[in-house]
Amino acid sequence: MSNRMARVEKLFVIVAAAALAACGGSRPDGEQAASGAAPAGEQKAAPAAPVADAATLTGTIRFTGTPPAGTPIDMSSEPVCAQKHPGGVTTDEVVVDDGGLENVVVYVSEGLPAQTYAPPAQPAEIDQDGCIYKPHVVVMQVGQKLTIKNADGILHNIKTKPTKNRPFNISQPTTMETARTFDVAEPDIPVECNVHNWMHATIAVFDHPYFAASANGGKYTIGNLPPGTYTITAWHEKYGTKTQQVTLGPNETKTLDFTYDGNATARAPAPGAPRVAAHAHPGTSHGAAR
Amino acid sequence: MSARLAGTAALLVALAAAPAAGQQAPAGKAIYEKWCAGCHGSDGKGDGPAASTMLPRPRDFTRALFKVRTTSSGSVPTDADLRHVIDDGMPGSAMPGWTDVLSESDRDALVQYIKTFSTAFQQKPDVVAFSKAPPENAAAIEDGRRTYEKLECFKCHGRAARGDGPSASTQEDDSHFPIRPANLEENWRFRGGGSVEDIYRRLRTGLDGTPMPSFNDMLAAKVVTDEQLWHVAQYVRSLSPKEPPEPPEVIRARLVEGRLPTSPDDSAWNVAERAYIPLVGQVIIKPRWFSPAVDAVWVQALHNGRDLAIRLVWDDRSRSPDPRWSEWQRRVTEVMGPKEDSAAAPAAATSGTSGSDAAPPAPADRASPAGATPAVPALGDAFAVQFPREIPQGMERPYFLMGDARNPVYLWYWRSDAPAAVEATARGLANITPIPGPSTLRSQAVFDRGQWRLVLTRPLAAPGGGDRLTLVQGEAIPIAFFAWDGSNGESGTKGAVSAWYHVYLDEPTPKTVYTTPIATAALTAGFGILVVARAQRREKQGGSKGD
Amino acid sequence: MKSRLSHPFVQALLILAVAYLLFRFGIAYIPPLLGVKSAPVPHTVLLQYMLTVAVGVLLYVSATEDRWRAFKAPIQRVLVDPSQRLYRLALLVTVPLLAGFITYRQVRPSVEAPPNLRSIHPAPPSTITFRGKTMTLAGLENPLRKEGNLRDHVEEGRRVYYQNCVACHGDQLNGKGHFAHGFNPPPADFTDNGTIPQLTESFVFWRIAKGGRGLPKEGTPWNSAMPAWEDFLTEREIWAVIIFLYDQTGWTPRTWDTAEGGAR
Repeated sequence: MSNRMARVEKLFVIVAAAALAACGGSRPDGEQAASGAAPAGEQKAAPAAPVADAATLTGTIRFTGTPPAGTPIDMSSEPVCAQKHPGGVTTDEVVVDDGGLENVVVYVSEGLPAQTYAPPAQPAEIDQDGCIYKPHVVVMQVGQKLTIKNADGILHNIKTKPTKNRPFNISQPTTMETARTFDVAEPDIPVECNVHNWMHATIAVFDHPYFAASANGGKYTIGNLPPGTYTITAWHEKYGTKTQQVTLGPNETKTLDFTYDGNATARAPAPGAPRVAAHAHPGTSHGAAR
Repeated sequence: MSARLAGTAALLVALAAAPAAGQQAPAGKAIYEKWCAGCHGSDGKGDGPAASTMLPRPRDFTRALFKVRTTSSGSVPTDADLRHVIDDGMPGSAMPGWTDVLSESDRDALVQYIKTFSTAFQQKPDVVAFSKAPPENAAAIEDGRRTYEKLECFKCHGRAARGDGPSASTQEDDSHFPIRPANLEENWRFRGGGSVEDIYRRLRTGLDGTPMPSFNDMLAAKVVTDEQLWHVAQYVRSLSPKEPPEPPEVIRARLVEGRLPTSPDDSAWNVAERAYIPLVGQVIIKPRWFSPAVDAVWVQALHNGRDLAIRLVWDDRSRSPDPRWSEWQRRVTEVMGPKEDSAAAPAAATSGTSGSDAAPPAPADRASPAGATPAVPALGDAFAVQFPREIPQGMERPYFLMGDARNPVYLWYWRSDAPAAVEATARGLANITPIPGPSTLRSQAVFDRGQWRLVLTRPLAAPGGGDRLTLVQGEAIPIAFFAWDGSNGESGTKGAVSAWYHVYLDEPTPKTVYTTPIATAALTAGFGILVVARAQRREKQGGSKGD
Repeated sequence: MKSRLSHPFVQALLILAVAYLLFRFGIAYIPPLLGVKSAPVPHTVLLQYMLTVAVGVLLYVSATEDRWRAFKAPIQRVLVDPSQRLYRLALLVTVPLLAGFITYRQVRPSVEAPPNLRSIHPAPPSTITFRGKTMTLAGLENPLRKEGNLRDHVEEGRRVYYQNCVACHGDQLNGKGHFAHGFNPPPADFTDNGTIPQLTESFVFWRIAKGGRGLPKEGTPWNSAMPAWEDFLTEREIWAVIIFLYDQTGWTPRTWDTAEGGAR
């Protein structure tokens, strides 16, 4: 947690107390997924029986090669936002900390029983703070409430461009909160602000609670999994998709790492094309579970 | 939340059922194929053969994202919403209204057929409850202006609401085509209609598929009141003329005493009639241009017997060249760039070649928002006023598109990147040569919040001679207009053009204009008195006779 | 009341007033109520109609001696009766003023564009050169009507039309494309029965191939924005788009039998 905080502060100095509160609100949600606490909470709401002999999957998204330097963002047109980044600000799509790639969505893509999981009561959150989306990747469940906040107090419009869900495009001209939900699973919904064309985020929506976004030096944890064999998919907006098979025994905690090669796979996906997760070079993905 | 889940379940069931529903040949299909597919494509993807010549592109029905709705952001439109657009068309776009061509049942069938292109229509439209407009008055409009500022509408639409806000150059629609924020001074071009109610509804619902968001949630969060949103609509409506302007055949140059205004913002211009001249894309010679940025110019003219001054006012979102717009220029050129080169190559262009470029362009890497260094030429804005070389006596005039080799035209040619306007001879659009020697043409231009205002002044006499037209009072002088927006990739044949109009320099009113009516009145009065006198004399005579 | 209506002077005034209203507004606005298109009557025509009515009224009131006398009586009274003195004065002032005003409207400088007459269907040349190939227009038939499948030609023509023609002629083929308002003369309205149904396909071919600039002398003032499509389209594409024009509008082209050697 503190590790991640440090990382975040390296990027942005948060000025507004409200912003801090808002971020603090959003972070535990992401953290919960990463730490495995959230699935436990979510399971309470699930109609299915509590998982017996629950297993845990954890791991690190490793990044090899030189991470690309972010492109500087010129926020001079928005003094409110520029103030929040006294040291300047760059685009945040590739965040590498301690050799780990953050903002990678890791989720169970195959192997789960056909079942409907009730959404967690706690909302997911996304904030617009310093003309940056926080977090950059939101992971959430179908039917779960998404709280959209505007810590900046200046005009943002939050526009989602899903292909399976219905989109929305709403205006937040000042500090305010809005809530939305998603109806179907869609792991890569682009989010953008048309007032500030550098603002981009991704919302990953799943119809089950077994997902996480990598943080804290690329670490992730998916907990409370029923024992079984699963296909695990990792997705990064710039480096694409990787999948691995994993078999989890009762009460087992397994480590499953993924590796992205920044030199080999540095290809920008065209956001114009439907963002069907293309399988990235299989050679670069790490071997089987350790 | 359980309602959501139920909705999802219903949707899934509906998805499964969809192919079955599609099997019964819908009645609208034949009508759609005949009248709609040319633009919207046989599969409803908005990729018909005409699509590549249009910006905004025709609607892609498979995405089920519609601009003009009465439903919340992201919701499918109601049947009535779809009918409304089919009936009334979308002003300012290539979509016409269809009431004259298709029967009501045909149009209803089309609505149903369009809905088969997307499973999203299995969902129920989420209709927004609209309130009634509050009374409109100066205070309401002023409150609307303040709210426009508070909501930061100017970020895209600009401080003077000409669609020139700081974010304007970065906009794209959901299919990644460049899209311009509306110029709010031209309500007759608003896609969803230009009335206060239309504008209010667009604010509430947003325009799906475009960057224009819905301001609905903001009402719930009590950021502004519903009444204030109405005031915004009233304010926006107040920026446009009461009625859509109509071009006159003749632009009248009034005769004034003394000096002519040389500055574009001189109050002396207030006395001059404003003529609205529509401009359209140059689609006649290669390379054609289907997406002109300038859609009209407002022309005023004054003369004092020695000089003629013409004031030209046109909206242009950028003062070109402007590096902030170079990415826009790159995108528009890519999307609308002609697929034909200027060298007429009529060779084997048999079938299906130039057509369907449905694939959206790859937008710039979104990692580089500032636009690294796009390789687009730095083009200035330009404007040309065209005259014949001499006032035609018969009906024959030079070719309206800058003449030709046989019959050239005389131009006043202004560029934003040149120190002054020049006089030129044109022998066709691509062949403009400045007239050598000292020029008596004077120009003064200002660029102000998305608008150019230019004054061109020249003596009526043309001392330099040559191709220069001698301006004469009391005659209709042919005149035409051309505009280029450099940031829209326009130069040469790629620009906006007009037909021939006329400018008429008022003559000093001859005295007979006043003496003749007075004489007529006096004659009539005399005749009347005569009639009365005669009748009375007769009456008296008759009376005495009768006695 | 009845006695008043039977007075010939009142009758004459009534007839004139009703006739004026009918000509001025009735012709323009009553037929649309019945679903028939109409347009306002031009002023010169209105004047002519009113003069005709006035002559009729005069004939009527002067048909019998009694009626003529009755008709004249009120006029006579205004002219001579001492009790009508005020009326008399008012008329003596207003009528001359009206005459003066009408005269002023006639003589004041008017700002009008010169007349813009042009021949709608000028005579075509006997031959044209299409991309170096000489084509004789007289008797020329659309070759695509004799080969292949007509539906294929229609679809090919539809593609050509939508890629090239919609911007001006519109997707309703009515000359109201989204660029049409910028051009003068307006683009041709193919749904109008004065356009393509009056023409042979060879004439249409000539107009498409050579455009506004290919018009003969009587086609001036050289304002037509119609491009010379030989720069853009092949011969086959032009014949195909012609088939599309007739198919989409439901018109049939004029044939050489009825056209007697050439389109008008």
